[in-house]
Amino acid sequence: MEENTSWDWGTELKEIPFDEWRTRFNWVQSPRVSRDGERIAAIVNLDEMAFNVCVNGEVWEGEYEKIWSLTPVSGNGFAAFVARDEEWTMAVNGQEWTQWCDFIWQMMKSPDGRTLGAAFQSDSEYGVMVNDMPWEHRYENLTGAVMAADGTSAAVVQVTSMPGADVDAFKQGVFSVARNGVPQDRRFLNIWDISFDASGRQIGYTVRTNREAYTIVQNDTLWDNRFESVWKPEFLDENSLLAPVRVKGKWELYKNDAPFWRNRYDQLWHLTLSPNGRDIAAIVSAPYGRWSVAVNDKVWPVSWDTMISDIYFSENGATLAAVYKHKNVWDLAVNQTSWGMAADMVFVPCFNADGSVVAIVIQKQDQYQLVVNNRVAASGFSFMADPVISPDGSMILLKGIENGIYKRRIIQV
Amino acid sequence: MTDAPSSVEKPTDPAIESGLDRLTPDRIRQVIQQVLKNETGPRFKAYVETCMRCGLCAEACSYFLSNDRDPQFMPAAKVKNTIWEMLKKDGDVSKDFLRRAVRIAHLECNACKRCAMYCPFGIDIAYLMLLVRRICHKLEITPQYIQDTVNSHSVTLNQMWVKDDEWIDTLQWQEEDARDEFEDLQIPLDKVGADIMYSVIAPEPKFQAGLLYQAATLMHAAGMNWTMPSTPGWDNSNMAMYTGDNEISGRIARAFFETAARLRVKRIVMGECGHAFRSVYDMGNRWNSWVMPPFEVVHALAFYHELLTQGRISIKEKYKKKVTLHDPCNVSRGRGLHDKAREVVNMVCEDFVEMTPNREHNYCCGAGGGVINCGPPYKAERMVNNRVKAEQLAATGADVLIAPCHNCHSGLEDVIQHYDLKMEIKFLGDLIYDTMEKKIYEPGA
Repeated sequence: MEENTSWDWGTELKEIPFDEWRTRFNWVQSPRVSRDGERIAAIVNLDEMAFNVCVNGEVWEGEYEKIWSLTPVSGNGFAAFVARDEEWTMAVNGQEWTQWCDFIWQMMKSPDGRTLGAAFQSDSEYGVMVNDMPWEHRYENLTGAVMAADGTSAAVVQVTSMPGADVDAFKQGVFSVARNGVPQDRRFLNIWDISFDASGRQIGYTVRTNREAYTIVQNDTLWDNRFESVWKPEFLDENSLLAPVRVKGKWELYKNDAPFWRNRYDQLWHLTLSPNGRDIAAIVSAPYGRWSVAVNDKVWPVSWDTMISDIYFSENGATLAAVYKHKNVWDLAVNQTSWGMAADMVFVPCFNADGSVVAIVIQKQDQYQLVVNNRVAASGFSFMADPVISPDGSMILLKGIENGIYKRRIIQV
Repeated sequence: MTDAPSSVEKPTDPAIESGLDRLTPDRIRQVIQQVLKNETGPRFKAYVETCMRCGLCAEACSYFLSNDRDPQFMPAAKVKNTIWEMLKKDGDVSKDFLRRAVRIAHLECNACKRCAMYCPFGIDIAYLMLLVRRICHKLEITPQYIQDTVNSHSVTLNQMWVKDDEWIDTLQWQEEDARDEFEDLQIPLDKVGADIMYSVIAPEPKFQAGLLYQAATLMHAAGMNWTMPSTPGWDNSNMAMYTGDNEISGRIARAFFETAARLRVKRIVMGECGHAFRSVYDMGNRWNSWVMPPFEVVHALAFYHELLTQGRISIKEKYKKKVTLHDPCNVSRGRGLHDKAREVVNMVCEDFVEMTPNREHNYCCGAGGGVINCGPPYKAERMVNNRVKAEQLAATGADVLIAPCHNCHSGLEDVIQHYDLKMEIKFLGDLIYDTMEKKIYEPGA
């Protein structure tokens, strides 16, 4: 994670008149806020087919025909995909990469934000670039690119050409995983959900070996068991790979090709490990149509009728929050307790170090609100970025637009 | 209207034939027994035990009517010649039997559920035909072209092998073109927190990019807070649902709804497609343990109705030509949107004439249920099986046929051409785009 101790945690309100940009430019789109809240950026239109990125009122040098995927990156800056003369590249804080291509998409960031990657296509060949370095090998098709913490990249690639509608060729398996551009030997009908361990050395993914057999590949080794279906695996440590698998119509959790949890579920996905590695959580459905959270195979005593979209651990693993929808409204549950906010939407929660403070942005009646430990801390905003809690847990950084003015505000917990 | 030949040569499908070549009697028996034992329940048992072969389903079936009431096209006969026989013989059926069963399930039934509505016991024959398709899937004897479509779904999560960059590039191209009409129009990609995720099926970026343009202008004029995903999960279609590949079907539906969850949208609006609506509303969601879709899914018909009745868009001058409306099975019989469809048509068109029968009683287009996706080899026999539909269309005397579903649209285009019906075919969105005021909605104005 980025170091936030050096940020300004003073309580002085900082404002940027964001709506004024709308008078300076033809139009303004996709506002994004840096992690530290000191900068707000947007894609702005200067003229016909002339775009740029405006950061705190200053535009990057040059102009582009198109810009998309403006994203906050490390160092509290911004990156975006930019096009000139019908060629694309990545620009980071206004600095263009040297490699240009026919198209670029799927921006990837390492957890520390210092390494950036993207999928690209040139002359109908596909690859991945990491920090301006493209793969040496290119492929006729590429999906599901991912990047590990150390900048190792991987993607599902097509290694054998296949005539249109050739279902027999497809059955032979024409897809492989390319790691840093180099394909692995094994080929499969389908490959999905590439996962790395924390070091980036271990790799796991889901595959289909024939029309009805699914399993897991752990490094170069195929699990022996075949399943009715599988979902994304996660490394518990460098030697242990977990994966939800479907057996006789129910979902189970396997570790290294053997049953791990005892319970079977109607659904089991979004495996989430606590940062300290002690706890394994997953979104589960049991009974059919009801949604809950299982932690180490123990299901929360509460459940909801529509969905749980995601779950998050605090850094010390003591707090687990679930974003869920029930009876047509969205809400947050923290360690089994629902906040009962009945929101139109809730975003991504953040925690202090020991998990005792949880803050989240919600939408209610067309307004954004900041909610801290289930109490509304700020409201009336037309936009809010996800908040950040100070290292000592005493302050919350609010980043939002109110009455057309971007505000960086520090709130005491 | 010209006549169709009463019968055509049945093509040989290489995927079915190569699949049959690999099968052994043991494998056939094992798969059928597994599916019937492990994947059916009281519903199947009730259907098997309550059908009394009364034949009331026959008159409901457009195949039966189009083929001069040939008894082999009676829905009950289709069941008898497929799943009942498999059940009766405990899976001990021949390759010739299976060759015929694939044809019946994939090419002689649109899974349109019209027969279920006329059955005194409500037996859902579409369910039984999909069960046969499930067995065919496991035996690897699914027709080639629809299997290729499912292969595409499994790799790209869209049905037309549209690559990630092609999808985004097409959206940007349409956005650029649409700016000739609305200077500041945007197709907002990955806008987290938008009200609406707009989703389409893959033929739009592949062949009909103008529909994306039209949708964008409509959203813009109506002042909607909307977005489209740049990632896989944008295609709401699901042909795996129709081949019995439930595992891929579930994977597609998961990606679709989780894309909406990632974007934190409030609801999903989808283009004019019928089977895709059925997939996210009824079938794909349920394999994943979502009893109902986790996000409200609004079909284009209902969305147009909302925009027009709320005054977010207005019609400048009504469409003048005489129009008729085809009710897609999955949105009318399946979801009851037929009255809203008529209200929209009447708001947009001056001269609307009903076809007979209509609403939930309408005949299927003949392309749905994955039949058109079995591809060009079967087009000639599809035309024979569409005769009753052609007669129904011709009887309206309409100049324009509105078909608010992609499958219906493609299938009916073939019917119009084959039977020389002298009709144009349009999506409802085409007419709205042509007739609407090209100004941006202002609340209270």
